[in-house]
Amino acid sequence: MNFLANQVDLSNAVDAPAIWTTLEALPQLPNRLVEWVGFQMNAPAWLATLLGMLVSAAVVVGVFLTCFALVSLVERKTLARIQNRYGPNRVGPWGLFQPVADGIKMLTKEDIVPDKAEKLLHLIAPIMIVIPAVLALGVLPYGKEWVPVNLELGLLFFFAVGAMTELSVFIAGWASGSKFPMLGSLRAISQMVSYELPLLISAIGVIMMTGSMSLPSIVEHQSQYNFGFISNWNIFTPWGLVGGIVFFIACIAEANRCPFDLPEGESEIVAGHMTEYSGFKYALFFMGEYLGLFAISGLFITLFLGGWSAPFAGLEFVPSWLWFFGKLVCVIMTMLWIRGTWMRVRMDQLMRFCWLFLIPLSLLTIPAAGIWRFCGDGFLAGLLGWGVTIPFLIIPYIIITVILNRRLAPATRQYHFAE
Amino acid sequence: MIALFILIPLIVLAALGAIWKARPVHAALLLALSLSLVAVLYLLLGADFLGLIQFSVYVGAVAVLIVFSLLITRPSDETKEIARRPQSILAGLICAVPVLAVLVYSVSYSIGSDEVSESSPSQFELAELGKSLFTTYAPAVMAVAVMLTAVMIGAALFARDFNQRES
Repeated sequence: MNFLANQVDLSNAVDAPAIWTTLEALPQLPNRLVEWVGFQMNAPAWLATLLGMLVSAAVVVGVFLTCFALVSLVERKTLARIQNRYGPNRVGPWGLFQPVADGIKMLTKEDIVPDKAEKLLHLIAPIMIVIPAVLALGVLPYGKEWVPVNLELGLLFFFAVGAMTELSVFIAGWASGSKFPMLGSLRAISQMVSYELPLLISAIGVIMMTGSMSLPSIVEHQSQYNFGFISNWNIFTPWGLVGGIVFFIACIAEANRCPFDLPEGESEIVAGHMTEYSGFKYALFFMGEYLGLFAISGLFITLFLGGWSAPFAGLEFVPSWLWFFGKLVCVIMTMLWIRGTWMRVRMDQLMRFCWLFLIPLSLLTIPAAGIWRFCGDGFLAGLLGWGVTIPFLIIPYIIITVILNRRLAPATRQYHFAE
Repeated sequence: MIALFILIPLIVLAALGAIWKARPVHAALLLALSLSLVAVLYLLLGADFLGLIQFSVYVGAVAVLIVFSLLITRPSDETKEIARRPQSILAGLICAVPVLAVLVYSVSYSIGSDEVSESSPSQFELAELGKSLFTTYAPAVMAVAVMLTAVMIGAALFARDFNQRES
């Protein structure tokens, strides 16, 4: 099955100080250890391969579950700081063991299934929401040599498993057999289906530039340097800047985070599709949501922020996966910042913003990327590219915003059913 | 090969369930299961691109289908088994028989020829596929696009009609 054809070559390690080289290879350590033990014990090849795969999967899951615990604490602390509160500060120093306490609380809670619920679907939904998040995390390139599964069609795989999230959110809301979950899941479907369009379309420019859907080669393409020091990240090109911003906004919406957290807006519909869940199932939803957040932020980093590549030439000696996780921290903190400062949008604003603003802009990035590509490399060609593509993107942007502000924005919202 | 013999009955069972279930949401979910199992079949046969596209398009499409089915059926319809009324069955047959005829024709057309089994689907170029899709098969792609747009507009009209009647 060439679907799983992978295994990155570890032999060409970079020339760097020993400590950095060791750190660079650190994520592969468990994997290599298993391979070595297998070799020593003359294990059959298929067993060694299988164990190696399992171990590399376990590394990814372990790393991101740790991140999940940390981020759930950091999120509460950051929001508390923004809102002039203390946040969790009872369990351990700086509230550091709060995730442990939360975990114990979640695991020991009673598991309640409503009477009117569809029992089987109610059980399946939380499991189905974790699976795509974990699968999507498996194809991201975290470092030069740390690619858990190197697929030729990695980007497509990412979006394909991402489509499962919508369905599982819907199942969760529908199977609960009550009103708020149903409302939440309908909101979630309309939001996620709509925002998937700008997400996919703005990724097309990247595919056009790289000429490949393989995520490692997309990063490879961005890890060169122009004029010796400026990195070749996609966000530093006009189409990449527009596409990146659109992609980032769509990421926030896909992850159901504030200001697009209508599907689970606490003040409106309790917790949306998660309302009727308790105990470990609720924890699974929470986990799936955060893992999905990491996955989609990781994809944003991979497509537009250069993945594991260093921002400046001469900084490559730092292990590549440290750059990736550094960028991940920046993206997640930006999302927390947005959550702390923005207010939740209304449903009609949400849809108008997507269909009338994000999708036209993301469509514009495709011809812009084409123009940029035909302008070629080099200083003058770069100037020409900027000169041509900037008006190409800015003028429609101005037209769209003017039309949206003048014509299409209703003075007051019309309430059809609640008068 | 064994996987195929497990998968194909599962696909058929899920499809039968999708037809048999009276509640639209159950039927749609079983349809999603059936179509994603077909995607697994494609992956096993080495057609990675097709399998992933099948999965992403149909699972996403079923989510939209569910929303529309909830929009255009009233809650009372769920218990009335709307799908088993005579006129529904007749309309379904009118749609299904030509499709079945085309499928039978194309399958019987390809059974005899050897070139299908010789070409390895995993070796194709993505760019080649794109080119043929938007040059040779452009009319088919456009026809599908027009049909989907018509379906969307029809569903929206239905939903609007129901809402007006109720208010």
